[in-house]
Amino acid sequence: MKTRLPEHGPLETPRFWRTLEERIETPEAQQAAHDEFLPGAIPPSFNMGPDYNDVHGLPPQSGVSRRDFLGLVSAAAALAATVACDRKGQGTVVPYTKRPVEVIPGVANYYASAHQEGRRVYPVLVKTREGRPIHLTGNDEHPGVKGKTSPRTMADVLRLYDPDRLRAPKASGRVVSWAEAEGHLHAALTGAKAAGKPVLLISGAVASPSRKALLADLKTALPTLEHLAYEPAAGDAVEVAALASFGQAVDLQPRLAKAKVILSLGADFLNGEDPEALGAWGAKRRLKSAQESINRLWVLEGPLTLTGTNADERVPVSPSRLGAMAFALAKELAGKGVALPAGTDLSGVSTGAPAEIPQATWASLVKDLKAAGRQAVVLCGAQMPAEVHQAAHLLNAMLGSEAVAAIPAEPLATVKELETAVQGMAAGRFAAVLFWDVNPAYTFPQAAAWKDAVAKVPVRAWIGQVEDETAAQCQLLLPENHWLESWGDFSTPSAAVLQQPTIGTLYDTRQGEDVLLDVLKALGAAVPDGYHAYLQARWKKELPFGTSFEQALHDGLVKGEAKASAPSFKGASVAAAAKRAAASRAEGLELVLFPGFATHDGRHANNSWLQETPDPISKMTWDNPVAVSVQDAKALGIEEGDLVNLSLDGITLKLPAVIQPGQAQGVLALALGYGRTTGGVAKGMGVNAFPLVGLEPASTHVRSGARLAKAGGKKTLSRTQSHHRMEGRDLVRSLTMDEFAHDPQGHHHRPELVTLYEEQRFPDHKWGMVIDLAACVGCSACMVACQSENNVATVGPEQVARGREMHWIRIDRYYEGELENPKVVHQPMLCQHCDNAPCENVCPVNATNHSAEGLNQMAYNRCVGTRYCANNCPYKVRRFNFLEYTAFKTEPETLVYNPEVTVRPRGIMEKCSFCVQRINDGKIRAKGEGRAILDGEITTACMAGCPSDAIVFGDLKDPKSKVSQLVAATRAYRVLEELGVKPAITYLADLKNPALEGGHHEA
Amino acid sequence: MADDTRKPMFNRLAALVAGPFLLGREAVSLAFRPDKDGPPETPPKLTPSRITVTPPEHAIKRRG
Repeated sequence: MKTRLPEHGPLETPRFWRTLEERIETPEAQQAAHDEFLPGAIPPSFNMGPDYNDVHGLPPQSGVSRRDFLGLVSAAAALAATVACDRKGQGTVVPYTKRPVEVIPGVANYYASAHQEGRRVYPVLVKTREGRPIHLTGNDEHPGVKGKTSPRTMADVLRLYDPDRLRAPKASGRVVSWAEAEGHLHAALTGAKAAGKPVLLISGAVASPSRKALLADLKTALPTLEHLAYEPAAGDAVEVAALASFGQAVDLQPRLAKAKVILSLGADFLNGEDPEALGAWGAKRRLKSAQESINRLWVLEGPLTLTGTNADERVPVSPSRLGAMAFALAKELAGKGVALPAGTDLSGVSTGAPAEIPQATWASLVKDLKAAGRQAVVLCGAQMPAEVHQAAHLLNAMLGSEAVAAIPAEPLATVKELETAVQGMAAGRFAAVLFWDVNPAYTFPQAAAWKDAVAKVPVRAWIGQVEDETAAQCQLLLPENHWLESWGDFSTPSAAVLQQPTIGTLYDTRQGEDVLLDVLKALGAAVPDGYHAYLQARWKKELPFGTSFEQALHDGLVKGEAKASAPSFKGASVAAAAKRAAASRAEGLELVLFPGFATHDGRHANNSWLQETPDPISKMTWDNPVAVSVQDAKALGIEEGDLVNLSLDGITLKLPAVIQPGQAQGVLALALGYGRTTGGVAKGMGVNAFPLVGLEPASTHVRSGARLAKAGGKKTLSRTQSHHRMEGRDLVRSLTMDEFAHDPQGHHHRPELVTLYEEQRFPDHKWGMVIDLAACVGCSACMVACQSENNVATVGPEQVARGREMHWIRIDRYYEGELENPKVVHQPMLCQHCDNAPCENVCPVNATNHSAEGLNQMAYNRCVGTRYCANNCPYKVRRFNFLEYTAFKTEPETLVYNPEVTVRPRGIMEKCSFCVQRINDGKIRAKGEGRAILDGEITTACMAGCPSDAIVFGDLKDPKSKVSQLVAATRAYRVLEELGVKPAITYLADLKNPALEGGHHEA
Repeated sequence: MADDTRKPMFNRLAALVAGPFLLGREAVSLAFRPDKDGPPETPPKLTPSRITVTPPEHAIKRRG
């Protein structure tokens, strides 16, 4: 159904736009708006002529004779009868003969545990059903993360059930016993020890005190051990700058709750990785009135990042110029009386506003930072060159920023150190090499040199989960537990965190630490049996009085501030960095290599949930096209999806291009972690960008001198940003603080709604939701949480390209303003659970109907798949199972399913249910305890997963509930309210706090 | 009214007899090709269709 446009009609040029085509109103965009659905999402006979390849397989309606029709009906009846008699897939439900003590059938268990990605630690709460971990959220007891976690952590439960996991040890390609595999390893290591030959161990970052102690024990037992902790996506420049500025490795942790002014130098701290930062950001943005204080975010960056999309003021700048600008800022502040740290020499830095920034913007930035003083913070992106990090350290030291903590950390190896190791291996220096949870054969920039060098090490062992590029170069493969099957501990600034297994090992695997303990035993050291005992012994010595190990496991942590003192800033390091920054100029195009939102450094590439979650900016799935600025695309004649050759240092990659509004001219951006050659899901998705990573640690991920040329041909992009378009209607609202203070409803007037229907009554509850667009950063955590909770299927890149993705909640990303530097608003869009739902009226079999509590609900086994409801939904939030996405899955993949939610087969319509299973769980719990449901007790998966608390769910019949109070807020509006469908979701308009136009509001 | 398109009786009878005969001959001549590699000496170890889920040892649950 085409809904009627509001009275003002579509604007000549839409104020908000989502795609370039929409912005410049190409004929294709106008046609797409007219067609409502993508071509793949409608039967061909409607608009494309006959296509017998369609899944329906039916001939077009015109020209069907009565005989054909009767024949088909008879065949269909016969087939239906045959299918109905099919007894395939029937299972047997049997009770436990010996029920495990912890498991009560039908009741979920929750365990506290923790997960590590690079240096970042995620304390989590793991939901298990009948012994299977099925859903992750943050640990609510942790004072930092407060029950929130990252999208990748939530999706990592799927990796536990990855069918590609190695299930038993292998030696030279043969499945062997652990005793035999470890026998080979122990013989090699004891031999190396006796001969005094070095052994190389390469692992990921060490964030665990017990793992650190274990490695120290190993070093004592095997003095020739050389250990490198390598994180290929971390950015070596961070290490280089920390060493120069503080004399040691540090982990910088933003404390945004204390920040009034934030300056980001290419830092993407709102990208979903840091739940603590997102929580603090959301708290500062969820304003009830314009009188409350709000922070201000300044962003200077090359590529458009998620943080950049949330900026109040954003200036596109090449990364190579960021350092010079930041040092100029320091000099400007020093000129205005902000004290420089001892020994700082800025004499070589030129004064005044850099050419890249308008004078007024520069003056405003300087004024903001100076006024905020200790409540200002400067954050630098991990990929930025070392001198930009050093400038950020200097600015924070000058301001005395309270909003960032420099915490001493274990050093990471740079690519230079890895290169030295390669030379050592090639020279035959090492007797053995052990890779533990790393994949340097894929991530090291010079893969060919790596392969040749590794082949010269006599014994090569690998500890990991899925056989990867590195495993292919090793003789001994030692399969490792998933972290949900493992023990461990981590230190975080506000608590010591414990990791405990939440399921017994699924296969014949061991955790890496157990392998190392066995090595220690073989080398003659006296160590406990197993890492659990090792960990327990260490913890029992350090636990505070009155706290038991069991209590710590129950909570998942022991609270307490870390005792490490903050390192002091070395002013003497500044002069050289400022000189380098002043000289830094990009020749040719500048390439920024950043960790993929879904894949990170490639470790998550085999996770289909993440691959299908659209990149928050480009909305790409399953691929990593190179992002080109609007200006460069125009100059080079590149269009969306064009195949291009990206060349740098003699390496050429052929890949598709996307045109990215807001990206600085002369800058290219490319995600790492794609182009894997192993893994059932990962293999062949995108291109591997690691060969373009530099070998100069000061700037490994920002490279100048890149060249781009059209390669001829196009690639169909599996991109979701143009799906489900809504024709330029008033869907998303954004206010400046001035507008919020004086005219929050603006020109938007609440339409007078006339209805033919009786007012609906809800006797007990009326469930509703409020989404605050000012707090939503667009990180997609809600999408992953929903996917995990509701068994949402993944469909693959070809189906996504046809508009058939199945996500129940999506994030619409709207641009506003100029192509070169647009403002951006993110809007989560899900079923609005309308009281007068247009989908319900048109369902011929009453499969979708309204509950007595206001839920728009689906009876899956009643649905016959007419898709009338999807046609009639003005929000385009209904998803149809065009193909069979689930029935052919077997264990272990099916073990991740939530048993409370029906797994939908082909031909069924589905959509958001407001997590009805959680509502019923809350109701049953409350009834069992003889009390009313408490406000906030029932959370939907998206609400629980949202790190900035932008989503609030509750009972609208309870006037005291949080959701009821927010519905009455001045920023509140409902999407497409003029249709009279009475949606149960209220949005709160986005807020921007610009320093210049109309933004007199102090930060 | 006679149907002009109907074929002569002889043709229809011939088709009625020849059809099953030809089909039957085709069916009888069907030969099942032997596997290229022949049957393996020992049957490959099948992946178990069910994976045993065991509770974690020593872990302490928060609630449930």
